[in-house]
Amino acid sequence: MLELRPDLEAVFRRDHALVVGVAARVLGSSADARGQAEDVAQEVFLSFARSGVPAEQARGWLCVAATHTALNALRTRRRRAAREDAVLGGRAEHEAVTGDVADDVVVLDERRAVRDALARLPRKQATALVLRHSGLSYAEVASALHLSPTSVGTTVRRAESALREELRNRASSH
Amino acid sequence: MRHPTEGVLRRVVDEPAGVSDPDHQHVAACARCQRTLDEVRADAAAAAGALAPAGPTSDGVAGARTDAAWHRLRATASTGAGSPARSTATQRSRSWLRRPGAVALGVAVVVAGAGTAAASDWFRIFQAESVQPVSFTSTDLVDLPDPSAFGEVTTSTSGKEVQVRAVDSARAAEQATGIAVPQVAELPRGVTGEPTYQVGDQGSSSFTFSAERAAASAAAAGEELPPVPAGLDGTTVRLTAGPGVLATWSSSAGLPALAVARGVAPTADSSGAPFSEVRDYLLSLPGLPADVAAQLATFTGDGSTGSTLPLPVPADRATTGTADVGGVPATTITARDGSTSAVVWTQDGELTAVAGTLSTDELLAVARGLR
Repeated sequence: MLELRPDLEAVFRRDHALVVGVAARVLGSSADARGQAEDVAQEVFLSFARSGVPAEQARGWLCVAATHTALNALRTRRRRAAREDAVLGGRAEHEAVTGDVADDVVVLDERRAVRDALARLPRKQATALVLRHSGLSYAEVASALHLSPTSVGTTVRRAESALREELRNRASSH
Repeated sequence: MRHPTEGVLRRVVDEPAGVSDPDHQHVAACARCQRTLDEVRADAAAAAGALAPAGPTSDGVAGARTDAAWHRLRATASTGAGSPARSTATQRSRSWLRRPGAVALGVAVVVAGAGTAAASDWFRIFQAESVQPVSFTSTDLVDLPDPSAFGEVTTSTSGKEVQVRAVDSARAAEQATGIAVPQVAELPRGVTGEPTYQVGDQGSSSFTFSAERAAASAAAAGEELPPVPAGLDGTTVRLTAGPGVLATWSSSAGLPALAVARGVAPTADSSGAPFSEVRDYLLSLPGLPADVAAQLATFTGDGSTGSTLPLPVPADRATTGTADVGGVPATTITARDGSTSAVVWTQDGELTAVAGTLSTDELLAVARGLR
């Protein structure tokens, strides 16, 4: 058994839901993504368990690590999806899509657009965005990302502006 | 009064208590800021909607989930198995690489590795031909001086980081970079499937020493600046590395398990002062920890261009060793928590690294079997 930090259980019980939430914001809300977010949380807490991260920095560290790990997982998933699309795409065009199925496709497409847009943002912007929307205060985001609280506002603002732009472009191209 | 930035307006939306009174008063009275604020608020709401996780779960369910997750973590940790987050390690190293202090270390290490050549125009002062670890503690990094305090730092891509992008195949990676992706003869146990490929372009970064700026920074910090040698002012050091290719195999959890990277080894060129002077001066600057400076100072080189690339390794997080890969000396790095290992070596101007959530022995087997 490897040596684990003594404060692990307390930190885990306090921040686990938050860390899963951070990963889920990156990975999306499908059942599959939810499981993936849980996996990301496990990976992140395992690293934390063996780390010397000071207790007072734990929450920020865990959230940043969860965002990066989830963004990396997203990248892997997107590549796989692109390959699958290449195979399935031709077939879908030949099938008539109606009613609920069409609605599902729209929702699915929109979710994917969000993930695509997130993956394209600069890492720091994506991380600041996800951390703030996961409920970390400006001061917490600033400390976790080595930014000033003022630049947290600027960074989050840029990310949101870029995200909305991407989603608008996506909508207008359909 | 100047209009508050959009960053301040963003904070007005969801943490108004953090915004100063004058800013609040300005925004309340300013039609232009009100318009911008509406836009900022709409974008924030759109982002919140886009990022919202699935439907709410009751506390009871969440509590049970946390319990189950805790037991799972305990089980994984107690076997010592599991797939520790290599990507987290990557993220960690990446974030410290972005710190300005790390750039200073980068300049210092390459400077330290250089020979004592002297010339008037750009001249090659360093070309990595072997690798050797330099140990430091994580806190050392935080304390490193910001290079912009001593001069001008510019990157080849107008301030942007070198873009790493995915490509579809080993062939595409080779076409993009001119570097053949190393072929793994036999994948270690637990690693299966096809790798994904990424390529990075050549990147370079220049540092121009400014005696004036260094003096001003030192004065501001209340530090005594060592006397600047003649000719050092205005000397530019240019670091160049890449292009490179990366092949990554994922574990079943979708996280990287094995990565093989190869790229053109870093080189450095200089215009201006003799290199030994630049090295000695940079190593004498306040902020560089004494033991790190002492280690770097031993990389004196012998006046030839071939030099040792010092590889910064956080001593509190990793141990290092040496190994032999096909007759070439290699450096092994193992995380103290046992989660991650890496093998690094240079040969014929190329730097190769094999890393993963595997043991050093397994990685060495991969390294020795590369074709």
